[in-house]
Amino acid sequence: MHESDPLREYELMMTRRQLFGRAALGLGTAAVAELLGGDLRAADSSRPLARTHHRPTAKQVIYLFMSGGPSHHDLWDYKPKLAEKFGEQLPDHVRGGQRVTGMTANQKNGFPLAPSKYRFTKHENHDRGVWVSELLPHTASVVQELCVVHSTFTEAINHDPAITYIQTGSQIPGRPSLGAWLSYGLGSMNENLPHYVVMHAHTSFPEQSLFNRLWGTGFMPSDHQGMLMRSQGDPVLYLSNPAGVSRDDRRAQLDALAAMNQAQHERFADPEVLARIRQHEMAYRMQASVPELMDLSREPQATFRLYGDAARQPGSFAACCLNARRLVERGVRNVQIFHRGWDAHGNLPKEHESQCKDIDQGCAALITDLKQRGMLDETLVVWGGEFGRTAYCQGGLTRENYGRDHHPRCFTTWLAGGGIKPGITYGQTDDYAYNIADQDGVPLVPQPTKEAWTPGTMHIHDLNATILHLVGIDHKRLTYRYQGRDFRLTDIHGHVMHDLIA
Amino acid sequence: MRAPLRTILPAQLMAVVSLLYTLPVDAADDAYTVDFAQEVLPILSDKCFVCHGPDADGAESLRLDTFASATADRGGYRAIDPDRPEHSVLLERIHSTDDPMPPADADKQLTAAERDLLSLWVRQGGTYARHWAFVPPRRQPPPGNPDAGGSAAIDAFVRSRLAERGVDVAPRADRGTLARRTALVLTGLPPDPGRLAEFLADDREDAYDRLVGDLLASERFGEHQARYWLDAVRYGDTHGLHLDNRRGIFPYRDWVVMALNQNLPLDQFLTWQLAGDLLPNPTLAQRVATGFVRMNPSTSEGGAIPEEFQAKNNFDRTETLGTVLLGVSLTCARCHSHKYDPITQTEYYRLLAFFNSTAESAMDGNKYVYGPVVKAPADQAAWREWEAYEAERDRLIAKASQAVGNLAGPPDKLAPAWHRADPAERWRMLTEPDGPFAAWDLQPSARELAVRMATAEEAFTTTLVAQDLPQRRTTRVLRRGEYNLPTGEPLEPGILSAMGPFPEQAPRNRLGLAQWLTSPDHPLVARVLINRIWQRTFGHGLVRTPEDFGVQGKQPAHPQLLDWLAVELRESGWDLKHMLRMMVTSRTFQQQSRWRDDLDDPENVWLGRGPSHRLDAEVLRDVALWASGLLDPHMGGEGVKPYQPAGMWKAMAHPASNTKQYERDSGQRLYRRSLYVYWKRTSPHPMMTLFDAPDRESSCVRRSRTNTSLQSLGLLNETQRIEMARAFGGRLLRDRSTDADRLQMAFRLLACRGPTESERAACAALLQRMRGRYAASREDALALLAIGELPRDKKLDPAEHAAWTQVAATLLATDLAIMLY
Repeated sequence: MHESDPLREYELMMTRRQLFGRAALGLGTAAVAELLGGDLRAADSSRPLARTHHRPTAKQVIYLFMSGGPSHHDLWDYKPKLAEKFGEQLPDHVRGGQRVTGMTANQKNGFPLAPSKYRFTKHENHDRGVWVSELLPHTASVVQELCVVHSTFTEAINHDPAITYIQTGSQIPGRPSLGAWLSYGLGSMNENLPHYVVMHAHTSFPEQSLFNRLWGTGFMPSDHQGMLMRSQGDPVLYLSNPAGVSRDDRRAQLDALAAMNQAQHERFADPEVLARIRQHEMAYRMQASVPELMDLSREPQATFRLYGDAARQPGSFAACCLNARRLVERGVRNVQIFHRGWDAHGNLPKEHESQCKDIDQGCAALITDLKQRGMLDETLVVWGGEFGRTAYCQGGLTRENYGRDHHPRCFTTWLAGGGIKPGITYGQTDDYAYNIADQDGVPLVPQPTKEAWTPGTMHIHDLNATILHLVGIDHKRLTYRYQGRDFRLTDIHGHVMHDLIA
Repeated sequence: MRAPLRTILPAQLMAVVSLLYTLPVDAADDAYTVDFAQEVLPILSDKCFVCHGPDADGAESLRLDTFASATADRGGYRAIDPDRPEHSVLLERIHSTDDPMPPADADKQLTAAERDLLSLWVRQGGTYARHWAFVPPRRQPPPGNPDAGGSAAIDAFVRSRLAERGVDVAPRADRGTLARRTALVLTGLPPDPGRLAEFLADDREDAYDRLVGDLLASERFGEHQARYWLDAVRYGDTHGLHLDNRRGIFPYRDWVVMALNQNLPLDQFLTWQLAGDLLPNPTLAQRVATGFVRMNPSTSEGGAIPEEFQAKNNFDRTETLGTVLLGVSLTCARCHSHKYDPITQTEYYRLLAFFNSTAESAMDGNKYVYGPVVKAPADQAAWREWEAYEAERDRLIAKASQAVGNLAGPPDKLAPAWHRADPAERWRMLTEPDGPFAAWDLQPSARELAVRMATAEEAFTTTLVAQDLPQRRTTRVLRRGEYNLPTGEPLEPGILSAMGPFPEQAPRNRLGLAQWLTSPDHPLVARVLINRIWQRTFGHGLVRTPEDFGVQGKQPAHPQLLDWLAVELRESGWDLKHMLRMMVTSRTFQQQSRWRDDLDDPENVWLGRGPSHRLDAEVLRDVALWASGLLDPHMGGEGVKPYQPAGMWKAMAHPASNTKQYERDSGQRLYRRSLYVYWKRTSPHPMMTLFDAPDRESSCVRRSRTNTSLQSLGLLNETQRIEMARAFGGRLLRDRSTDADRLQMAFRLLACRGPTESERAACAALLQRMRGRYAASREDALALLAIGELPRDKKLDPAEHAAWTQVAATLLATDLAIMLY
């Protein structure tokens, strides 16, 4: 049906221009389709992912990003032996020369070990079971669906570089974000909503900064950037008509606009003008579709029982999770929720208790909800932060109160749905949850690095390679040429974690 | 002469080359000579250098980037055997199915056409030439018009390529459209209506030249041209990383505007920025210009390790220099020798060493004053005042020099002291009440001037500058680019040898670096600069990858024109205004921008039509401010904060950040040109990012131009756009008395022409509907007219004003207003 549609042809031409000329009047089209010599039809909503590198198991991605570095010690990585070592110095052989941040490098009390004060319970899964702390009771109830990875690692030890690294593949700003890569690779499935949506969830401890670059496009065309869906004011920037302007008024404006743009097209024959007429119309439709999306009044009581009453508070993490489900239901490809406040250098118990209360029910509800609706199979859910936290205490240490510094060598991440093996536990750490270890708890020698994959470990590049793999993209083949180099999200690294894939 | 291969259509090319491949060598030679630099090197680079490039391991490894290695005897065989081409192993391997090259599992495979082209090249002897961009540009006479200079030369080059396609340049654009295009390209605003009318009525032959002259002389010129430079150098008003706190740097931005308006020669423009502090007796402006060196994003995140950020800051500066002035990516060479371009890792760190001795600490302390800083004028008017004072001071010092011999007192004491003194010391001597010039008749004026200067200085503000440590920091290669893995001997600062020698006697510091970059033999700087000047004039560069002139970059479609312009830039004394004048007065620039039926060229590679594209974010806002009469002409000063949806910064910022609250400005500051909008790097103004402005955390020498539905929402709903529409509507109502005249005025302002019949009809229908609708609901009219800070003009009927506001808002969103054409 598109054969004789000049606008379609134009968009196809512009896609080529974007891909080969990089001149980029981007129209949110599917690069993968083009890479494989296909045409735009591959990006049609009726045939999503028709031309990915391989058969995808996930159509959509929801990434729950815990900014600041949640403590694996207090949530997921149970270390009973540490309890006996309260206040003892971290042995040098455990630290093994690991660089520490300027905040604890010269601490007067050295590196006193701080066992978690929280009770852990072992929950059966389809594997060896998984220990979950009392801070996450709801999440613990869905572990049958989760793949819990204890051996995630990175090199960066400070927030800005670490979060930039995990989200863009580079510690220095300037590269496209994971979400931009997904948009570039997959295009859109819903013409009336953006393909990549970012939400910022409320926290009582907004301790960390977020940056546009985390959902930005670096050197890629900027229409691959994440669209902020906000809980304050318009959910989408500038969505509402100005006061005193009705939907009918807008229709009349757009009709006049289209007539004048049509005249401009007759004058200059520039197809960009026609493409813009279409974008104005899509904006008009979005003005209807977004409020419908945000309107929770038709959600049954059961929804709020599942997500909790917090889901009625716009901007709460639970509300963001509910919105995420509604977005993927409507065909949005990629949703990212950023929840700040995990950077517990001091008063970790107080802060993490509050943080976990923020997220726990929402995470579990999202999994359950997707499962109930039969959507979990095709939706990948990822939970994690940019690094973990130290076994030793930062600042004053008591049994009841402590803080933890940044720790890159191991932290816990979980994935679910979208082709991930449900209910498995992957990788382990030593008795200090300081180093990634073998099955006997002996630290791996040599230390795993990004240079070559070590079984049982998951570098952040490996995580990103796996996310791309699940949506049908070969991370080594999805490239964007800038300054003569074919850039990848995973730089020259990354290993697809087949161990985690069903 | 035969047409070069690249002018042949791909299908024909395949046919021709496959045919030639089967022919005897001499027949092939006769038919077509392969151009190594243009045709072969890009293939080798893209498909082979990943293993056989400049960074191939070990001395015995085959490298295909040099003739010597490619033809070396490898125990009885050679990859390329120039004497017996048919024995070249390269030929065998690229055609082999058993043991092919590239290997069967390589990411990038040769196409059939590429294989044939390589075969032909090897059969012709496999000769090598340097990549074109590393050979200094030389002028070749414009084809068909060898004596042509100026804009005629541009046209000769363009027309000869068009002629190969059987067409010529398009007809001239009509004069109104041309005036609009030229004014937008040079000044970022449409022409002043009075000046436009004058131009349209001016039938002298040089009417257009006069218009161009006026536009080049306008102060709006520097404000508009500065934007492109600020994108390239990643100018921002905040530090960028972590807290993203405020940074004292806007005097640098104002200096850029001033330098461009004064047409400071571009070689000096670069030298001052790289090394103004190292010039003899640097002026304040020269020192402020070194803010360029300080433009890297910085951090003071708790726990960050200074050595790590010392390295990262240096990477950033070095690589930005690569993008902005050399047109190559140096990033690869941070970790290993470049895969494609002849740049070694050691050379990278030598280049980096120029920046490794600056005196600021690696961490910014989250401080506005992140030293070293100087105090500088706080806006453009203050700069003008200060420069006048400096000129007067210098004049007085010169007079004093003449007077030294004639003054009372023992001349044998004063004269030597005077001659030893630097200008600052002389000025002190000159103005001391009891000093040697106490009796000089000009001392009262000097002292009065000193007082005025002191007063002016009290209003100065701080700005970050470059300054070197007394003792150089040691620079070593960092293995894999890791800050904690320095290796090898300490390195002297040095340059990239593929791009010409370091000038003899130049100092091994940033000043020497600037001398290297601006030396006549530098192959890249003039090309890279003129390419971007062309890009902002014609919409695309001659090299379509302005960030990459390396082997992997796009070949220019008009290489000779590029070189001609690069030489002209240098020989004109690096005169930007001269170059822009030449470009916009060319016949090429003045073409209609209508897409042609007789030339299939969607990207306008062959320049057979005038430029057309959506205007940049800043220009969209500025045009509307200007049309509505709101534009505040104040130049320079601290960044301004127009309307922005509430909570945008707070939702992202660290609680300790001093940019977490967006404190909106009010009054005239809401209406400054967009150049002055405050640039928070982790969250620039949403109307900027919505329309493709970069974040300024890294260098951007080419913005993307996207077209999205979110832009439509911004154009029609954003507070300032509604406020501007209100003001525009009000202006039309006040200044003209009939609907027809109002439309005429609106179109004249936005499109430099009157409305067509269909446009008039569309506007009339909208107007009529809105009149009825707002007459029926005064409440809605008042609600619309209350948007933005600007008070409603109570003399106007609200329904009428609201109706015209809607017409104005619509017009401001149409392509006739938001596009260049």
